[in-house]
Amino acid sequence: MLKKSLLMMCVLLLAACGKPSPEVSEIHFAIAQAPLNLDPRYATDAASERVNRLIYQPLVDFDAASNPAPALASWHAVHDREYRFVLNKNRALFHHQTQLTAQDVKATYDSLMRLKDSPHVAEFANISTINAPDENTVEFHLKQADKHFPAKLIIGILPKGLIEKEHDFSHNPVGNGPLKFVGWQNKLTLERISDKQRIALQEVKDPTVRVLKLMRGEADLIQGDLPPELVKYLETKPEISLKTSIGANFSYLGLNMQDPVLRNLKVRQAIAYAIDRQAIIEKVMVRNTRVAGAILPPEHWAGNANLTPYDYNPGHARQLLQEAGVKLPFKLVYKTSTDAQRVRFATILQAQMRPAGIDLEISSLDWGTFFEDVKQGNFQLFGLTWVGIKTPEIYAKAFGSHNFPPNGFNRGRYTDVELDKLLTKEDWPAATQRIHAQLPYIPLWYEGQFAAMKKNISNYSPKPDGNWDDLTTIARLATKSSATISNHAY
Amino acid sequence: MFRRTAGFFTVIFGVLLLTFLLIHLVPGDPVEVMLGESASTADREQLRTDLGLNQPLVQQFGHYLGKLAHGDLGQSIHTKTPIIELIKTRYPATVKLAVLSLIIGLAIGIPLGIYAALKANHWQDFLVTIVSVRFSAMPAFWLGPMLMLVFAVWLGWLPVSGMESHASIILPALTLGFGLSAILTRMTRTSMLEVLNEDFIRTARAKGLSENIVIFRHALRAALLPIITVVGLQMGSLLAGTVITETIFSWDGIGRLLVESIEKRDYPVTQACVLVVALSYVVVNFLTDLLYSKLDPRVRFGA
Repeated sequence: MLKKSLLMMCVLLLAACGKPSPEVSEIHFAIAQAPLNLDPRYATDAASERVNRLIYQPLVDFDAASNPAPALASWHAVHDREYRFVLNKNRALFHHQTQLTAQDVKATYDSLMRLKDSPHVAEFANISTINAPDENTVEFHLKQADKHFPAKLIIGILPKGLIEKEHDFSHNPVGNGPLKFVGWQNKLTLERISDKQRIALQEVKDPTVRVLKLMRGEADLIQGDLPPELVKYLETKPEISLKTSIGANFSYLGLNMQDPVLRNLKVRQAIAYAIDRQAIIEKVMVRNTRVAGAILPPEHWAGNANLTPYDYNPGHARQLLQEAGVKLPFKLVYKTSTDAQRVRFATILQAQMRPAGIDLEISSLDWGTFFEDVKQGNFQLFGLTWVGIKTPEIYAKAFGSHNFPPNGFNRGRYTDVELDKLLTKEDWPAATQRIHAQLPYIPLWYEGQFAAMKKNISNYSPKPDGNWDDLTTIARLATKSSATISNHAY
Repeated sequence: MFRRTAGFFTVIFGVLLLTFLLIHLVPGDPVEVMLGESASTADREQLRTDLGLNQPLVQQFGHYLGKLAHGDLGQSIHTKTPIIELIKTRYPATVKLAVLSLIIGLAIGIPLGIYAALKANHWQDFLVTIVSVRFSAMPAFWLGPMLMLVFAVWLGWLPVSGMESHASIILPALTLGFGLSAILTRMTRTSMLEVLNEDFIRTARAKGLSENIVIFRHALRAALLPIITVVGLQMGSLLAGTVITETIFSWDGIGRLLVESIEKRDYPVTQACVLVVALSYVVVNFLTDLLYSKLDPRVRFGA
């Protein structure tokens, strides 16, 4: 029996080992989270939006300062409730080789307004009608004036013919972006239109395994979502090159403003002074992480570089708590997800807050439960990150008195008449200053972005919002070592 | 047999009812998951009506059973994929991994357990015991990356993770198989030691039967009953999906699908996964009972 068992195992092992990969030229990108939906009318998760930017093209994109900039079309306001977009003459064909026209733009947004289960429907509820008077012109008529309307037209354009046939864009996307969809079986394969370079995106959830795959040559590129010790480990490897950039995604502590103690400004200030952001950034964050003041970073057109950071001062924090009449130690429950890095931050915060007289209790919950609690207002303190925010309207959605969930993102249930006035006037410097002073949240940092890649990979750099736009330029240098690596790849 | 079959369907109905109620009673709203935090109240109510979520629970359950009878498990809230398609791709992957892990576990565990029993209280027995205890104490989240480091990164024999090649299954199967073999080794040793002291074994030896026949034909057969119980339970767990191993090795199985659906509040997918997992348990238990009666004629259904 023993012999038979061993023989069976050997046969299985031999049968399994004998198949090297045929796809040696593909560039493999190991990602932490696979896209959920490649139909831009439904996609909301970061991975889907990053891939959809490559497969489709929107009418409007953003420049380095996050101003709306022409992508497929340039525009002008005919009057405050009508915008006219003119498509670029040299626009690319759809991947199934038909010309993108104004009819496709109209069909895309018309279909979006008809969908009852799309998370983007509310964004476009202000559209009254859409006209396409000729092949290159689209007119949007609005119910109410909205000077930020062009910045909302960032949904990728779909072919009208396929929309009418109820094509499954979620799993078989057809756009006119620089990369086209090839297949999605265990990994998502895209092909660059310009040179037919194939790029395979594979979900590898575990950060250690992503690093091992990079070391082994099964992945050519990884980006973000690594604990700093793994980043430092990769820095020591001569076969790996590491690139970093500043980040624009804003991490913060949310506060429940309906909590009787947290309603007191001095308590919120005490919490802000009880966190040593600089020490956390130096010790446990990746390079280029910056202390944050507001949701939008200083380089954003609506950013505010004049916000004075709350420096670590546990003595002052303790004094503020005493002035607020809080009995010390002040017990505070901090909710976070089960993500290892998040739990690590929580334990550091717990240690930093102790000298200030704050007894932080950590409640680590699975993502679904945690986020549900946040939306329901079932928390005292929580930690989250705003990802990919481009427009200052976020301030109204996150802090406007009428934007409590489910009608907005004001999860802390903050009400401030003064701030509401500033938001209505769109006085962003004053509004961000007010938020910074009133502390309906505690700003933490903009986490730096990084990408680690094999030495033979070029033309790829991480971007502040973490997008994967450089997959349009990434290349593999033909070297002897790369051939050796490829031969080992499965 | 009739009682068994009736019990089988009662359990399935119970599982359906329980998962349906759990999904509808836990905090959270599928409509909110679909529409996000900015949708208007009117849009929410419209979608709720369209999905039939405003109907009484009894009516919703009846509707759910009706769709289920036609093989319609609904579609994922996030990916819009028909759930039956997800199950069709994910479940076979889990079964494949479970079967290979079980084969590895049995191939290592039973021979080692027999060997340890035959060498009871000798150094060989102690060595087997120490190794098996060590393996049973190694969690998959540690053993998996260690196997990757050795066999994939250092030796370069096998892929780190993924499902692209046939070789991809070896490391996750070894991770699960080693843990399983440790349990089976201990169980086989204990069970064999008990049987080897029985009178019928002494009689078989006194009759002059060869040691191999005594061990494998008489002792092992009698010792198998408790081992099969453990194998049945372990197989049930393996078919429920081994979340950690599937996650570490990027193995697209049912366990990973279940946990991801819970995290993303993809209620229809969670419901379908729980149903499949429960069915797996029930079927494996049923088969285990059948095997009992084959091995030991004294065990009969309905007895």
